[in-house]
Amino acid sequence: MTELDATRSSHAQAWDERVAAYENEARANPWRKKLREFNRNKLLFTGSVLGILIVGLGLIGPLIIGSDYAGQSLRNTHLPPLSEGYLLGTDQYGRDLLVRLCIGIRVSLFVAAAVTSMALVVGMALGMCGGFLGGAVDRAVRSVTDFIWGFPLILVAVLLAGGLGQGLFPVILAVGIVNVAAITRVVRGEVVVLRAREFVEAARACGISRFRIMWRHLLPNVMAPALVLASYYVAVAIIAEAGLSFIGLGAQPPLPSLGKMVADGRGFLRINHWESTVPGIGIAGLVLSVSLIGDGLRDVFDPQLRHEAKGVEKG
Amino acid sequence: MKRTASRLAYTVIVLFVSSIAVFYAIRLSGGDATAAALPGSATEEFREEFRDRLGLNEPIYQQYFTYMGRILSGDPGNSLTNNKALTDMLTEHGRNSLILGGTAFGLVFLVGIPLGILASLRRNSWADQGIMSLSTVAMAVPNFWLALLAVWLFASTLGWLPSAGCCGTKQLILPAVVLAFEGIALTVRMTRSAMIESQNSDYVRTLRAGGLSEWRITCKHVLRNALIPIISLAGLRIGQIVGYALIVETIFGWPGLGQVLVNAVLRRDYPVAQFFSLVLVALVVLGNWLADTGYTIANPRLRKST
Repeated sequence: MTELDATRSSHAQAWDERVAAYENEARANPWRKKLREFNRNKLLFTGSVLGILIVGLGLIGPLIIGSDYAGQSLRNTHLPPLSEGYLLGTDQYGRDLLVRLCIGIRVSLFVAAAVTSMALVVGMALGMCGGFLGGAVDRAVRSVTDFIWGFPLILVAVLLAGGLGQGLFPVILAVGIVNVAAITRVVRGEVVVLRAREFVEAARACGISRFRIMWRHLLPNVMAPALVLASYYVAVAIIAEAGLSFIGLGAQPPLPSLGKMVADGRGFLRINHWESTVPGIGIAGLVLSVSLIGDGLRDVFDPQLRHEAKGVEKG
Repeated sequence: MKRTASRLAYTVIVLFVSSIAVFYAIRLSGGDATAAALPGSATEEFREEFRDRLGLNEPIYQQYFTYMGRILSGDPGNSLTNNKALTDMLTEHGRNSLILGGTAFGLVFLVGIPLGILASLRRNSWADQGIMSLSTVAMAVPNFWLALLAVWLFASTLGWLPSAGCCGTKQLILPAVVLAFEGIALTVRMTRSAMIESQNSDYVRTLRAGGLSEWRITCKHVLRNALIPIISLAGLRIGQIVGYALIVETIFGWPGLGQVLVNAVLRRDYPVAQFFSLVLVALVVLGNWLADTGYTIANPRLRKST
């Protein structure tokens, strides 16, 4: 047990335990590995098709059917799907559910993109600096990320909403901060291993500056694990935004968010349950496609599996 | 020992830093604190006087120390919207939260561990496949949507259970199950893989070679080794439950701490928001500390080193 391990948070240890358990399971059960090989392309394919369909609906849909998501029509409230003029029906104010679904998907995608790019850029920068520079920088990075990592995402978001007011911005900031911590931790761990490798030593011996080593030699190596992790956190971001909008903290009316739409339709389950279930299916579909793509990517890029396949010793 | 002591010190520091963070975060909006308490027609002078009375015009670090002093002396103040004493709200809603959270916490382990054991003992059977696929789905479905499906099925369609309310057993079932769902899925997975790891280890082979019955090996040796880390990390589930309680309590109208905090944030009732954020943050930090301590106790290797 090194000093490094002992000072990590219990959360981190629990996480590592889980990862180790999964890996042992995969090793103990050779069928699982075969299954993964078989599933590799299938996962990516299914996820991508589903993803393209949903994203396409969100991006292209409004161009065809218009983007008037706030227009009310009080004569046509609570229409079921396949009503005349309203493919998916209408909500309590007679707003077109299909249009709102499309715009809601756009909102989800916007939040996911903002959060993930923030998490990737900041997380990779912090993780690489901490892992490679070591010393006080590393200690600072580690204590800040461990501190944030200790709190549940929803609580952080509610606190920020308490300070900054409701809206998409606090949600993006909160989910972003937690995801930055997650990416930083993984990238840092990778870099600590990479730092001891020969190619880094060789680069150092050539007198290449530390910044250049990070940029040209370490970055390409941590890119794959960071991207795989980021794809997982895209799903987390979508779920978190929907959940926070659901309780009223995220997107503010009349801007539709999938979570807010689910919440709005909640009071009319008996009259027209589609007002809730349509956006709910939208969320589930988005999350499912992102998770499938993430699983597929992990199988393709997972350094553990790749090293095993090539018979190369890790580290 | 040294590790336990250093973790305790770390926990105290985390508590301190997070209390500052919470205080500053909520006070960012201090400017319009008067909006919640006073009618829109109130004059600027009256608002100014109001802020003065609440001490909102002092430097913020001074406000922090005054505030923490008041909390420690047991008088955190009153709500801005209904003027209820925060301590009364804490006991009232805290009790409800304890019922809901405690039930969910119990469900996580009482349902999760037996299912995980079952899956590991009947590995690759239909029961195992079923349990594992269900747990995969449970981890992917957002819990508020799950809550909605549950309400739609059990309350609106079948009419077996009420869709919301407090605080009878019938009203408790749906929110507790939804709150526990992801934790159960996680516990099932952890239990199953820990059991399998334990079953495949060398000492179990030795025991088998020694001629012990499979039943005895499982009950006395495998179970013990597999469950210790899971139970010792139970504190981590507290944090998870606190986080999800914010959403689940709001959905089911369960008047617990989470619902109070969300409502206070929505109504910009900052004393309530601040106080209950601190309470929940302290709970989470406590849970993490418990997990860490439990984990250290369960792992003799950690106890010896450092």
